[in-house]
Amino acid sequence: MKTISQTFNTYKSKTIKPVWCPGCGDYGVLAALDKTFKTLEFKPEDIAIVSGIGCSGRFSHYFNSYSLHGTHGRALPTATGLKTVRPDLHVVTIGGDGDGLSIGGGHIAHAARKNVDLTYIILDNNVYGMTKGQSSPTTPLEYNTKTAPYGVYEEALNPIAMFLSYNISYIARTTSTDMKAMHSILTEAIQHKGFSMVYIMSPCVTYSVLPYAKLKDMVKPLPEDFDPSDKMSAFKYAYSDEHMYTGVFYKEEKSSLEERLTKVFNIAEVSKTTSEIMEEFK
Amino acid sequence: MGKIGTHKLKSKIDFIIRVAGEGGEGVMSCGELFAKAVARTSYHVFTFITYPTEMKGGYAMTQIRIKDITIYSMGSFVDCLVAFNQEAYDKSIPYLKEGGILIYDPEFTKIDESRKVIKYPIPFSKISVDTIGRPLGKNVVVLGILSHIYGLELPGLEKLIDDRYGSKGEKVVEGNIRALKEGSNAAAKMGVLTVMDLSKSEPANEDYMFISGNQAVALGAIAAGCKFSAGYPLTPATSIFETLSKFLPYVGGKTIQMEDEIAAISAIIGASFGGEKVITPTSGPGLQLMSEQMSLASMLELPIVIVDVQRGGPSTGLPTKTEQGDMKFAVYGSAGESPRIILAPTNVEDTFYQTIRAFNLAEKYQMPVILLTDQSIGYRKATVKMPDFSKIFQVDQYDRKKKVKIPQADQIELVQRQVPTEEELRDYKRYKNTKTGISPISRPGTPGGQYLATGLEHDEYGKTNQGPENHLAMSKKRFRKLDEVSKAFEKNPMETYGDPNVRIGIMGWGSTEGAIREARYLAEQAGVKIRHIHPHTISPLPERQISKFLHRLKHLILVEENLTGQFAHFIKAKFGVKPIEVHKCEGMPFTPDEIFNAIMKVARIADEDNITNI
Repeated sequence: MKTISQTFNTYKSKTIKPVWCPGCGDYGVLAALDKTFKTLEFKPEDIAIVSGIGCSGRFSHYFNSYSLHGTHGRALPTATGLKTVRPDLHVVTIGGDGDGLSIGGGHIAHAARKNVDLTYIILDNNVYGMTKGQSSPTTPLEYNTKTAPYGVYEEALNPIAMFLSYNISYIARTTSTDMKAMHSILTEAIQHKGFSMVYIMSPCVTYSVLPYAKLKDMVKPLPEDFDPSDKMSAFKYAYSDEHMYTGVFYKEEKSSLEERLTKVFNIAEVSKTTSEIMEEFK
Repeated sequence: MGKIGTHKLKSKIDFIIRVAGEGGEGVMSCGELFAKAVARTSYHVFTFITYPTEMKGGYAMTQIRIKDITIYSMGSFVDCLVAFNQEAYDKSIPYLKEGGILIYDPEFTKIDESRKVIKYPIPFSKISVDTIGRPLGKNVVVLGILSHIYGLELPGLEKLIDDRYGSKGEKVVEGNIRALKEGSNAAAKMGVLTVMDLSKSEPANEDYMFISGNQAVALGAIAAGCKFSAGYPLTPATSIFETLSKFLPYVGGKTIQMEDEIAAISAIIGASFGGEKVITPTSGPGLQLMSEQMSLASMLELPIVIVDVQRGGPSTGLPTKTEQGDMKFAVYGSAGESPRIILAPTNVEDTFYQTIRAFNLAEKYQMPVILLTDQSIGYRKATVKMPDFSKIFQVDQYDRKKKVKIPQADQIELVQRQVPTEEELRDYKRYKNTKTGISPISRPGTPGGQYLATGLEHDEYGKTNQGPENHLAMSKKRFRKLDEVSKAFEKNPMETYGDPNVRIGIMGWGSTEGAIREARYLAEQAGVKIRHIHPHTISPLPERQISKFLHRLKHLILVEENLTGQFAHFIKAKFGVKPIEVHKCEGMPFTPDEIFNAIMKVARIADEDNITNI
């Protein structure tokens, strides 16, 4: 908006306020993302936020950016199309554990293969919170939910191990309580060339599958000497039964979708007019 | 278009060749090379192919019609049949005209000797083995035989063989050229008559292309300024995405193959949000997967174009065969009420212009446009006049009153979505509830144009609002755009043909147009006059125009290629008429003859009615 000066105090929407429950982890993530945009000195008109359905889906409402709040599970392919035609935009995609890992889970592998240059933030609260307490792909086995009143009968996913095997070029996990870590990871992830996955444990206070206190006991930062280019070591920490490790699990420099498509242009070499193309069909 | 009595009924040259065999035998390439060679003369060429779903085996055929004036359908019966094997012979022989030419390989085919046709038993498989050591060159041997019969010069065909097989190496090209010559020689030695001399015809007017319906979609999209396509392979639509993938980079566009159709439509929605013109091609099963996202595009008011090349259904059905089975789903397949536009092109050339029109409508009215073609158009190849590239105009993005004409060869207007003015950006309402329902879209990157596009019900700013008054107002806003479309469609010229004063009318949609038109000519020759209406816009329909057409009719014949009469349901519900329905649900398009027979039956009923009325 014209009234905003060149340095922005906030990228948050002036008119739309969050509707999350008091104490929700998502407030922390919202603040961290806002701070990251400030650090990176983005113009609000160059930011595009694409989100899915659920509590996390509301993220796109709360920024004064170009925002698309689409259908359940489809944020990632939607953002992929947007970034492909508009490499000049900073595209951030946000979803939850249900949106991202259940209904939309199939899309992650293919965004990873494309190495599309965008950041995907998954907020994991281990439950379907917005629809009031059904099992999600990360609800632990035997936990009682509304759709599994006698205990969940599916094993919880191990998302980090999954992302590692998908060859995602940037993978990090942190918690919504750690503002400093979120800020530094988001800053790095958004600047990373290619597909970056930021996995944030963001507890639900209403359907408290994983309460803050328990989460605090579980998490442990990756060791200082951990090498994020060592994928096998990353797998080891991802599969740890003892702790939920946080930090940057993996990063790799490889060509992005944009670069690969630019190569296509180079193969096509010369530009042609429509009439020149149609001549080829004579 | 569609002026009464302007068509040329008489043509001097009009013949049809069918090459029938098994999938993997080269039936398609033989037919295509022949058709391509003829397309370089001044004659019009029209091909139709049908093949089995499997890579190899099963009945496959290609039918080529050659005429000195515009061709509307693949015709009913053939003048020349080439049968590669017994099954091909058995399935195709009923379609060979009396006195027609039958070419077959006696080693593989036993024929009915009593048929009154000219029989040429030529051992093309053996000729191929003798020439190149393998039977696989028999399709080129047949091409040589056909070139002898129809007087095509070998050097031209050799060039086409080189173009087609060049990538497989010199040896393959050289072998094929020898097989071609041997075929031609064998025909000459056996005393096969040359029935005409195509080589003596004028060379082609430079302004023609020889393209399939699927290629016409891709070229139409490029001409319309499309810059992005996301797709997922699905027969019979795949060649659209293939063609776009090859040519879009030349005009600065991009294509990406996605993991499924849901991802494909999601990607084009994202790209449309990014400000570009977008398309995704698919067939019925893919359209079903896309339906949730189609509703999202209606809700976000984003322009997207979807092409459904219909195939036989339901489920996997008949992937390589034709059917008009998706109309109801295209029109009604939505949870909640989401406005969309459905167009149905009638032939290859029309597909090119209707694709451009689809982009224009999508961009102007900010909603999904579904282009309903089918396998019979998609795989058909025809000679199409090159548009006049000096007559392509961009419509001003700020011109909100401009009435856009239907794109035609002599004038193509290209619509771009309306953008907000500086004034509007001061307090930007993305979903401003305007008189027409159309509200300008800002392109990401535009300062002050930031907005939220949400699939939740929202107010004029895009902010969520689930209030009763707001929902009614915004639903009306979205549908007001459809009313505008409707109004615009009514102002287009009537898509009717034939005598306006007669009492028998015929109605169809999409690819049946050519067969109906030819059936009407046949009926006229038999003394029965009818009129024909063939709307391109299935939804919304130009209702006043159709009412006017129906007004004085006593009998309405409604033709469509499905079992249950989907379009008929639509017409009956909207106009309260009781049509005589003619359906075909065999995976094959109507022949003019089949429709002609239906017309004649109705004409007899009409006669009897007249007698009883006295």
